[in-house]
Amino acid sequence: MFYRLAGQFKSTYAADQQLFPIRQDRTFMVALALVAFVLVPMIANDYWLGAILIPFLILGLAALGLNILTGYTGQLSLGTAGFMAVGAFAAFNFILRVPGMPFLLALFLAGLTAALIGVVFGLPSVRIKGFYLAVATLAAQFFIEWVLTKYGWFSNHNPSGVITAQAIEIAGKRFDTPLSKYLLTLSIVTALALAAKNLARTQTGRFWMAVRDMDLAAEVIGIDITRTKLVAFAVSSFYCGVAGALWAYAYLGSVEPQAFTLDRSFQILFMIIIGGVGTVMGAFIGAAFIVLLPIALNVTAHALLPGVSSDLTSNLELVIFGGLIVFFLAVEPHGLARLWQIGKEKLRLWPFPH
Amino acid sequence: MDQSTFASRLTFHDAIETLEVDFSHYVFDAPATVDAFYDHIDARVASTGKRWYFLVNYEGCEIAPQALERFAARGKNANISYGLGAVRVRPGERMRESIRTLAERDAFRANIFDNRDQAMVALGEMRKRRELLGAPTADAYLRVNDVHLNFGGVKALTGVSFQVHRGEIASIIGPNGAGKTSMINVISGFYRPSRGRIFFDGVERSHLPAHRVARLGFARTFQNIALFKGMTTLDNIMAGRRFRHNLFTDALYLGPAKQEELRQREEVEKIIDFLEIQAIRKTPVGRLPYGLQKRVELARALASEPKVLLLDEPMAGMNVEEKEDMARFVLDVNDQWGTTIVLIEHDMGVVMDISSHVVVLDHGAKIAEGTPAEVRADPVVIRAYLGVAA
Amino acid sequence: MDVQFFFEVLIGGLLAGIMYSLVAIGFVLIYKASGVFNFAQGAMVFFAALTYVSLTERGWPFWLALVAVLLLMIVLGFVIERLVLRPLVNQPQITLFMATIGLAYFLEGAAQGIWGAQVHALELGIQDKPFSLAGISVSQFDLFASGTAALLVAVLAVFFQKTKTGRALRAVADDHQAALSVGIQLKTVWAIVWAAAGFVALVAGLLWGARTGVQFALTFTALKALPVLILGGFESIPGAIVGGLIIGATEKLAEVYIGSSIGLNIGTGLENWFPYMLALVFLLVRPEGLFGEERIERI
Repeated sequence: MFYRLAGQFKSTYAADQQLFPIRQDRTFMVALALVAFVLVPMIANDYWLGAILIPFLILGLAALGLNILTGYTGQLSLGTAGFMAVGAFAAFNFILRVPGMPFLLALFLAGLTAALIGVVFGLPSVRIKGFYLAVATLAAQFFIEWVLTKYGWFSNHNPSGVITAQAIEIAGKRFDTPLSKYLLTLSIVTALALAAKNLARTQTGRFWMAVRDMDLAAEVIGIDITRTKLVAFAVSSFYCGVAGALWAYAYLGSVEPQAFTLDRSFQILFMIIIGGVGTVMGAFIGAAFIVLLPIALNVTAHALLPGVSSDLTSNLELVIFGGLIVFFLAVEPHGLARLWQIGKEKLRLWPFPH
Repeated sequence: MDQSTFASRLTFHDAIETLEVDFSHYVFDAPATVDAFYDHIDARVASTGKRWYFLVNYEGCEIAPQALERFAARGKNANISYGLGAVRVRPGERMRESIRTLAERDAFRANIFDNRDQAMVALGEMRKRRELLGAPTADAYLRVNDVHLNFGGVKALTGVSFQVHRGEIASIIGPNGAGKTSMINVISGFYRPSRGRIFFDGVERSHLPAHRVARLGFARTFQNIALFKGMTTLDNIMAGRRFRHNLFTDALYLGPAKQEELRQREEVEKIIDFLEIQAIRKTPVGRLPYGLQKRVELARALASEPKVLLLDEPMAGMNVEEKEDMARFVLDVNDQWGTTIVLIEHDMGVVMDISSHVVVLDHGAKIAEGTPAEVRADPVVIRAYLGVAA
Repeated sequence: MDVQFFFEVLIGGLLAGIMYSLVAIGFVLIYKASGVFNFAQGAMVFFAALTYVSLTERGWPFWLALVAVLLLMIVLGFVIERLVLRPLVNQPQITLFMATIGLAYFLEGAAQGIWGAQVHALELGIQDKPFSLAGISVSQFDLFASGTAALLVAVLAVFFQKTKTGRALRAVADDHQAALSVGIQLKTVWAIVWAAAGFVALVAGLLWGARTGVQFALTFTALKALPVLILGGFESIPGAIVGGLIIGATEKLAEVYIGSSIGLNIGTGLENWFPYMLALVFLLVRPEGLFGEERIERI
């Protein structure tokens, strides 16, 4: 009834090329922003902010990074967590070793460092494809983990390899409460999500998708696929690097390389499979799903079977995640984001069936 | 018929190589009227011995229904036109359907504009494109010299040489497995020849990677459609365009990046109009029927404003109507844009109709070459096709 | 350089490499027949070993437990074909690969959920004691493992060459369409091949379990096998063996010689990434692997 396209005619290409061409979508996005920036800070408590919303946003950002590489460009990576680790340790060292380093600049440089490493490990993509490349990205995952653990310099010679994030200070203002960290994270994630959306609708994004859909044809129509793939690796790793730095600074406060293992890479891969491969929205829907599912599972299990062991629930979690992955790949390869799309299409026609 | 009336309605603008035809308030009441007028035009054009762009004024022009089919057939060479005309349903009645609507319904083709000024601008653009590409030449534009291609022990091409002149439509024909697609793959840089050289516009370009070849001005379509299936028609065509863009301005989508995107979109819309695929702009190409996918692929190739267009069986698997459409598009591309075209095609009728030069391959080697008529009469070709000793 | 020490490291590495090959063979079987890169092979190794050890701990005799697990793995093969492969038929390889990651999670969760997560010791009656051979000390257990691997390869070779099912499998590996057209049931073939991979997983699981104890870390054997596959090519059993030997040997040599040369105790943990780097470098030089066939790209 309210989700109608009637009367919305585009008279310029500019209007047709907008970020959200449909008026109701724009309204929805504004409402979402209002909720996230205004309503949530008013009602959420520290537990929700610090233990659910912040990790959700950061993992969503990492999933977005992976989605750029895997969903948009079609290059499967299993090294996401490795690039996050690069970001976290780079931010730590920039702030530690450069006097007066502003936090946001350190965050940006951390992203750039991860991008650089990403390009190095993306180089094999020039010659190899598919799961051969996936295996190559595993090399990145293991190598980065190993280097950060073995060379004390990266953790400022902490005996257990742990880095403790310095206090966040931007323009003289300290960000030390869950609420302020949430707002900081939210702002950064929003900005980067919009940038990703812009990339996806311009020539950069078209080249990515062209390489994903048919790389040989892309080459023949004049797209430099080497460059396109490496740009995707760089942008993807930049996003993951920023996410990793935020993981250390806005979420955990202190992290070790073991916070960024292969399991984390898989977790983020699952987010985009469940949320939706190749959409910005899907990364966040998937992140929400994967952050919330264990909590929901735990609550349900304890409500139904008091005294259930946490071992059992964590194994149940593995079984459910595994099952869901197969289910989504087989039944809805475009993930929850596609269901959201279908829902909107239905709504556009409601109350009529067609 | 009144030849002096016809003559007074034709103006030759030598400076812009344009023949302006004034159909305003003229009434075509029968096929014979159409023929008379067009015979006059053809004769006048032939007497100049030159090629002309056609600029047609339809303002107030009327075409009787019985004359419509003839008009559509003969009106095909109108490059640019303007004005509102009408098709008369019954004598005395006017303005049933504008010529523009007809054109859009495909009764005949023309780029129709509201007024003469707009039409002149479009004409100017068309001439500029042609000039950029240069006039047809006698020297070879594309020269393939002794090309060999081996896969392991398999010889796909053995010592093939031929030339294509600027502005012509050349066809490569041959039985299945003759090496036609391999040849196109070599020309487009997708395969590297094992031996031999390729010259383009007088410069050797033998060993460039495919994307560099594309940037020299080559574009192609594929035998088995190779579109980007997950993307919309519009994005497929946009991806075919070459323009400067960079990551940072794209991410911000502000200022120059936005203006450039919109400017490119306008250019792409012209191609969309040209190929009549407006209705499927926003449709993911994976969902389109086969014939339309072929058309989108042509649009993507045209988007790069190629100097040489390579078409690998553009009409394969199409019905008669779709084939006619596609043949017309190919001719129009060659005619309006001056693009040199090399195509592979199985339908001999099409090949004979539209190409001026034919190269025949068999078992990876060239067995004949010449005009369609020469090739058709060549006993070696007949033998290759029929597989019997002639 | 101490030549005897060098050979000791080399032989130790080669023998350890056989253990990698064992897991890799499971991958190759499935890849050859169904084009699926089965990331869950490691989870299958874990699943089989844990089930076996849990049954024997409950008093089942060796042979009975072995047969029971074998049957279970065969049933599992058929279930996977029905619930995972069939709905995903004609999907891109990369999708199937991701599905097997999901499958791996599922199997890991299921195995631990049923049998518990504690580490079990597994006794096969082979002592892991070194003995001296021409002055070089060699692990008895590793020799036994190599013998088992050789036997396994022989059994598979006979199965592929001599039985009707085996010939059908090879036909399918060569050309799916052609195999279908001569009346080979693809579904059955896939189920059988997954069951065979389950059998290989059981053998690998027993050997690895006896060596390291049956624990979650067995799933990581899959990660060990990946570089082996890249070196050997995904479609070749000899490739899996040779790849395993190369990875095993270079890994040990690198750990001993490179590890010690770059100072202090940095070398430890090298084996986690070194095979991958080796495989990666190799990929760049020869993307199709040692025994893989070069592909001609068509368009």
